Amino acid sequence: MRGWVIVLSVAVPVEAAATLALPGAVGVAIDGGSALPLAAVLLVGALAGAFATLAGPAVAADTTVGLRLRLLRRVLDRGPVPGGPATGDLTARLVGSAADAGGALPSRITAATALLTSLGAVLGLALLSPWLAAAFFAGVLPGVVLIRLFLRDAAQAFTRYQQVQSELAARLTGALAGLRSIHAAGAREAETARVLAPLPRLAEAGHALWQTQRRTVWQATLLVALVELSVLSTAGLQLSNGTLRPGELAAAAGWAALGLGFFEQVEALAGVAHARAGRDRVAELLALPAPPPGGRDLPAGPGELTLIGVSVEGLLGPLDLTVPGGRTVALVGRSGSGKSLLAAVAGGLRAPDSGLVLVDGVPLTELTPGQRRLAVGYAFERPVLVGATVGEALEGAAATETRAARADGFLARMPLGDDTPTTELRLSGGELQRLGLARLLAQRPRVMILDDATSSLDLATEHQVTEALALATAGRTRLVVAHRPGAAARADLVAWLDGGRLRALAPHTTLVKDPEYRAALGPALAAAPAVVPAPRSAS
Amino acid sequence: MTRSPGWTLLRDQLTTTRPALVRVLVWSAVEALPSLLSGLLIAAATDQGFLAGRPAVGFAWLAAFAAAVGVRAYAARAAFPYVAAVVEPLRDALVRRVVRSALGRAEPTGDGPAEVARLTEQVESARQLTATLLRTLRSVGITVLAAVLGLAVLAPVTLPLVLPPLLLGGLLFARLLGPLVDRQRAVVLADERVAAEAGLAFAGVRDITACGAQARVERSVGAAVLAQGAAVRALGRAAALRTLTVAIGGRLPLLLVVAAAPWLVDHRQLTTGQLLGVAAYLVQQLEPAVRSLAGMVGSWLLELAVVLDRLATLPDPPDRPASGQEPTSGQEVRVHGLHHTHGAAAEPVFSALDLALAPGEHLAVVGPSGAGKSTLAALLAGLVPPQQGTVTVGGAAPHTLPDQARAGLVALLPQEAYLFTGTVGENLRWLRPDATDRQLTEAAELLGASELLDRLGGPAAELPDPATLSAGERQLLALVRTYLSPAPVVVLDEATCHLDAPAEAVAEAAFAVRPGTLVVIAHRIGSALRADRVLLLDAGRGLTARHGDLQVLSPLYRELVGHWLGATLPQPDGLSIVPGP
Repeated sequence: MRGWVIVLSVAVPVEAAATLALPGAVGVAIDGGSALPLAAVLLVGALAGAFATLAGPAVAADTTVGLRLRLLRRVLDRGPVPGGPATGDLTARLVGSAADAGGALPSRITAATALLTSLGAVLGLALLSPWLAAAFFAGVLPGVVLIRLFLRDAAQAFTRYQQVQSELAARLTGALAGLRSIHAAGAREAETARVLAPLPRLAEAGHALWQTQRRTVWQATLLVALVELSVLSTAGLQLSNGTLRPGELAAAAGWAALGLGFFEQVEALAGVAHARAGRDRVAELLALPAPPPGGRDLPAGPGELTLIGVSVEGLLGPLDLTVPGGRTVALVGRSGSGKSLLAAVAGGLRAPDSGLVLVDGVPLTELTPGQRRLAVGYAFERPVLVGATVGEALEGAAATETRAARADGFLARMPLGDDTPTTELRLSGGELQRLGLARLLAQRPRVMILDDATSSLDLATEHQVTEALALATAGRTRLVVAHRPGAAARADLVAWLDGGRLRALAPHTTLVKDPEYRAALGPALAAAPAVVPAPRSAS
Repeated sequence: MTRSPGWTLLRDQLTTTRPALVRVLVWSAVEALPSLLSGLLIAAATDQGFLAGRPAVGFAWLAAFAAAVGVRAYAARAAFPYVAAVVEPLRDALVRRVVRSALGRAEPTGDGPAEVARLTEQVESARQLTATLLRTLRSVGITVLAAVLGLAVLAPVTLPLVLPPLLLGGLLFARLLGPLVDRQRAVVLADERVAAEAGLAFAGVRDITACGAQARVERSVGAAVLAQGAAVRALGRAAALRTLTVAIGGRLPLLLVVAAAPWLVDHRQLTTGQLLGVAAYLVQQLEPAVRSLAGMVGSWLLELAVVLDRLATLPDPPDRPASGQEPTSGQEVRVHGLHHTHGAAAEPVFSALDLALAPGEHLAVVGPSGAGKSTLAALLAGLVPPQQGTVTVGGAAPHTLPDQARAGLVALLPQEAYLFTGTVGENLRWLRPDATDRQLTEAAELLGASELLDRLGGPAAELPDPATLSAGERQLLALVRTYLSPAPVVVLDEATCHLDAPAEAVAEAAFAVRPGTLVVIAHRIGSALRADRVLLLDAGRGLTARHGDLQVLSPLYRELVGHWLGATLPQPDGLSIVPGP
């Protein structure tokens, strides 16, 4: 890394110096001097250019890779943080911003060098004759104004263009979500036309954008020519009165062109700004705190889960809860009562604002990452499979585990079985949940937290999964977020949550006499057909 | 490289805007006027003016040069609308292509919005690159030609010193192009892999933490990150070689001419003014042109090639049959010997499935998740052809019918309701454009959607963003729409899953009294109770019977129904629910 930085910071200025020296060397040779300086300048320039081209991407790539790896580790160490940057934002920062930031050093070196080259060229003109430099500046100043005007106009036209563009993208996204309906209705042509409806407006905005550019470009062309001509005329005049030699006129023309290269540096400066913005966006994430990993091991124990004085400001607790080793506690409550939040806190997915979460007497935060994995595991309502293949994403779940989760059937129907790439999976919510359960079984933690983990299964499958799961997890501690009465009835104890507080901890059979408790389980009752019209078939 | 699908796509599209393209080229030739004349005019200004002690003549020649530059500026201005006339249609064509291909797929694949964003970006960069190349590449190319031409007129004696290195540089550049394209493509692919893997990992941070899979994921995403870095460095190495072509093609001619200059001037082959003119051609025209050709233009071309290839290899929408055997006899639905697998090595979803539905019959399809219920729905609606066996509706195989005829025969309503930006009425009339307002409100009433329709402001109201409606509201509108469809066969594929049970019962009851055949892929067991017959799909087999008979015939069905009853809370007031007969 450092080696390439040195190569880059030597090669770029050397190449620039060679470029700068070129008109002078040409002038010397034309005026009858040796061609050797020119040969030297050209050779050095070519070599320096090659090294700069080699070192630039190497420096950028090293920086980018380093930033990406740090960012990746930070995000994974931090874990899920509510209110943190969204997935898309994180990905954009790792992919886009880190790449932009990688270009920081090369773009700074390049921009600084280019600026110096332009200055050097003007200096060269001034050394030949102050009049030449004056002629140069006479033309350059209006150019600065022109560039400012362009940036303003272009920004407006571009905003309009982007608006239409995103309207079109939104229509396409909507149509893609309804693709099956569109095919079923035989409406592919019609819907294609509907998505494409904003296209004429996009073209209109595009043409407006070209208009802006057109104005600037031809004015800039004139301006550049004006500068060159005013330098050339001045040089010609001095040639005729003998104060300038022919080779010096050639040098003047060359330096005038190099000096005008200043205008192209608007782009290089934009690159520097771009890289700085990227670096800031990455740094923002790297500055986010991540909890330090603990160093303790899990002592032998039954898997007792203890929550002491746990609270999340305004949402949960403070509450105490103990799930005895090997027992099942169901979390019941209306939506918004804090069930899922408590489930997240209990397994260390979310740090409580105060209080402690212990497994077999050891705070979760003090365990090593490996030991934590053995202490608590989760199954979710909508599991996300992470891994290149199904097998990897299931943490190496064996046949017994996929069978227990009732995932063996549809896994067998996949084209490549365990090696099926996760990107090619088209799973229903129920299938996904069963894979989430298989993954949890493969992890074999002492405490299992099931957060609505079977809600998408049809009742028959849920029944089968529940039975198989009960067998497969016998002896393990379980905390179950329950939406259906059956799950609450099967638990040893029900923790009834109301407004973030623990309202009661008792068996379902005791609580069920309370109408308010039944109301808390209400949505589940709506799932049962309370009102069923008589079947139409003759009975 | 010239045979790549991307270039074919570009060539085909550019052919349609040929007049504009020709005008761009013509104006480019005009733009090259100063490049052609610069050396000649500077030589004349020097030899006849400034060095001859007649500065006025020198100024006159420079004024001629100024005029040439004015013409160039005018030409640059005039060429712009034609650049736009080439590039904007190109973008339109690419957007159309992307949309057609995306909507032509059988199933929604990819990552939805992210994929759309990526495609938008690729189309946009194809547009930008083509425009930049049109403006730069042509002017650079013509500048090289003009400079060589100017040299030939001004000082033909220098041509043997200029042309060989120029050609050598060109050959070297062409030789290096292939590996460069490959490496550029490798970088693009590596970028995409980093984005995909990181996106997946960040979407699953909760799950990664919950499974303690940080180390595994960090290794796997880290590998993609490192591979991307290696690809960028490899591209840099190839690009460094490319800079040599600039040294040879752009700078060597200058060195040769300058080295030979004293001899040429001494032997009166070249005047001082001509030498200055030659230097102007070489330093200010040829070298910058070669440099940008090999540098920026080279990488833009590569980028364009890669982007166009990706857009060109988007799958074409499948051809739909233009005509097929029209349904002949009634609306009877017949399924015979149906067999379906998801892949060659996979177990069949179902095999040897038979089914016959009389016109007007109401069938519920039940079975565990993954039993192939949605696949059956797609086969009945003709969205996919049967792998083995036959599906006919009224004697015609739906998948062989033209789109319109197929949709007019079977209306399939999937789980995810599709609504679009437009009026509520346009959305409801999607399957039956000639439905009257009265028919709309009647259908809404029957399906329990009146309240929703009123709240939205009636059929004439705009539905600015369908995403603002809840999933249940969208399903309700889609149900009204499907109810209005003229199709004699309706297939509801879990189309009521976001409605609550009473609303589902109302909707299904409305469809049951609608004339025609009804197939309901059941989300809840209640759907089976309301049907004439029930098809139980399980482990590749199908069993069709009345609800009561099925309870006797199938232990699984018994378990399914029994479990559903068992799952309900014992009701304190003793409300009992009695299934079927």
